[in-house]
Amino acid sequence: MSEFKATIDELFVYNISKTIKDKTVMFHGVSSPGPAVAMYFAKLTHAKDAVYVGGVTSAIDPNPPFFPTSTNDWTMMQGRTAMITIDKLFDMAQKGELDRSFFSGAQVDKYGNQNVTMIGRPGKVKIKLPGGAGGCNLSGDCINYTIWTPNHRARVKGDKKMFTLVDKVDFVTNVGHVTPFGTRQQLRLVGNGPDWVVTELGVFDFDPESKIMRLRYLYPDTTVQMILDNTEFKPIIHPDVRVMDMPTKADIELIRKIDPLRAHANEFPPKELTREFVI
Amino acid sequence: MGKFLERNKLISLEKAASTVKDGDMVAIGGGLCLREPIAMLRELMRQGKKNLHIVGTAHGFDMDFACGGGIVGAAQDTHVSFEQDFGLALNYRRACESGKVKINENCCNTIIQQFRAAAYGIPFMPIMSAKGSEETLLHPEFRHMICPFTGNDLILVPALIPDVCICHVQKADIHGNVKIEQPYVADVLMTRAAKHVIVTCEELVSEDEMKKIGPTMPYYEIEHVVHVPMGAHPTSCYPYYAYDREHISEYYKLTQEGEEAFKKYLEKYVFSVKSNDEYIEKIGGAEKKKRLASWKDSKEAWMELFKYE
Repeated sequence: MSEFKATIDELFVYNISKTIKDKTVMFHGVSSPGPAVAMYFAKLTHAKDAVYVGGVTSAIDPNPPFFPTSTNDWTMMQGRTAMITIDKLFDMAQKGELDRSFFSGAQVDKYGNQNVTMIGRPGKVKIKLPGGAGGCNLSGDCINYTIWTPNHRARVKGDKKMFTLVDKVDFVTNVGHVTPFGTRQQLRLVGNGPDWVVTELGVFDFDPESKIMRLRYLYPDTTVQMILDNTEFKPIIHPDVRVMDMPTKADIELIRKIDPLRAHANEFPPKELTREFVI
Repeated sequence: MGKFLERNKLISLEKAASTVKDGDMVAIGGGLCLREPIAMLRELMRQGKKNLHIVGTAHGFDMDFACGGGIVGAAQDTHVSFEQDFGLALNYRRACESGKVKINENCCNTIIQQFRAAAYGIPFMPIMSAKGSEETLLHPEFRHMICPFTGNDLILVPALIPDVCICHVQKADIHGNVKIEQPYVADVLMTRAAKHVIVTCEELVSEDEMKKIGPTMPYYEIEHVVHVPMGAHPTSCYPYYAYDREHISEYYKLTQEGEEAFKKYLEKYVFSVKSNDEYIEKIGGAEKKKRLASWKDSKEAWMELFKYE
């Protein structure tokens, strides 16, 4: 019998799905193919009674025939029950009724603040990033959220290393645990902030005391040293850090079935996609 | 008195675009790659409009195209990209990075509350989120207040009243009744917030037909109606057509080559085009229309539309 292998992007989606609990309300925003597939996967497996708000269309519990390359497409409304409008989604979040969302950034710092706005500062913009869409509000309002990035691995440019996981973001778009304006408690935000960070190199939570990112799980082909080499700040290493639980063959087959265009893999650097894991 | 009580609101694209003035705050309907009023943006470019202050929620092709066409002075959207398909919006980036376009980036709920204040006829709305985010630094017009009931620090965001709101919808009648298929995005809200409202429609229907299907917005909220088939192309306007990935791919490659190369796109699809029929011919005519409508045929046909290079 030949070996069954999963690819890194599939494990990544599986790990995001593990941050979703049953009987919760979940939403993903723009440019979020990984979370989109993870949410639907969770809805079909361990979170059957979760409310799945299908992306920017705001369809409730859709059965998308496949995942398109935009979050605002009619595919995301197929098989839905109700439709809400996007302003109602934000109302739910303000009332503390949105349990989980998913955000990313070109830079993510040790407290989980994310930059989706600009490299540089206002008036001195080096790179204009796409903008946070609803992230600035929802990172404050939703009860918890998962940070995801398939671009953790540092890029080497000449003799310089460019990090995604940075000590300090150039600009805080989405709020983590400690912001330039104070902590979440001081700001009296509705939600509790990010509780999980899923990257292509590992899975983190946050240290309850310092609120600094803490390494919890590794992939079978990553090490603590790799995490340290590819992270600008020094993450806390959990004493029980270990290799993550692997999905089953059936889990991977389900991910392939629901995302035949592999939309979830689009944001991965191409060379990462060669990483395979025997299941 | 109601806002727009003319009996016949049907006008040409040229005439409707001519009501937009340089420097106007313009709310653009649709979002990301869905139902954006692209035909109207082309006409605004042909008329040489300048320095428009564009407001909206999460956008894509429209804002990148408007920046590339030189009609934008300030961008007050919450997000501009080609999402997980092509990624960063390069015309938008260049315009922001060079300082040609002022960055007034905002967040979806914040701007929705600003449109709500305008639509509700009140001066501001209080929000509890956005605290901690540096997006507030881009908005010196926001104020803080301690809530007299809870003691919580609130951000007060002023009513945002666009000079004009432009949306592309599925169906309209000449009286201004409008039928939009979900998702509405922020169209209904922005229409109610704006001083002037222009709707371009895919299909012009009789008032009797509109009564049968039931309008999404009543006629007195719509000022001008323009009939422009394929008016959202290359963004989608379901059920008529899906997103034209083939066209956007051609567009994106030129934006990657730079500002000079992008002028070829503008010349071919904007400045040399004399009519909407000519535009439809240029993008591939009946064959293209048939292909973009094939999403209905099967899951496989729909998926194919997302594979075109």
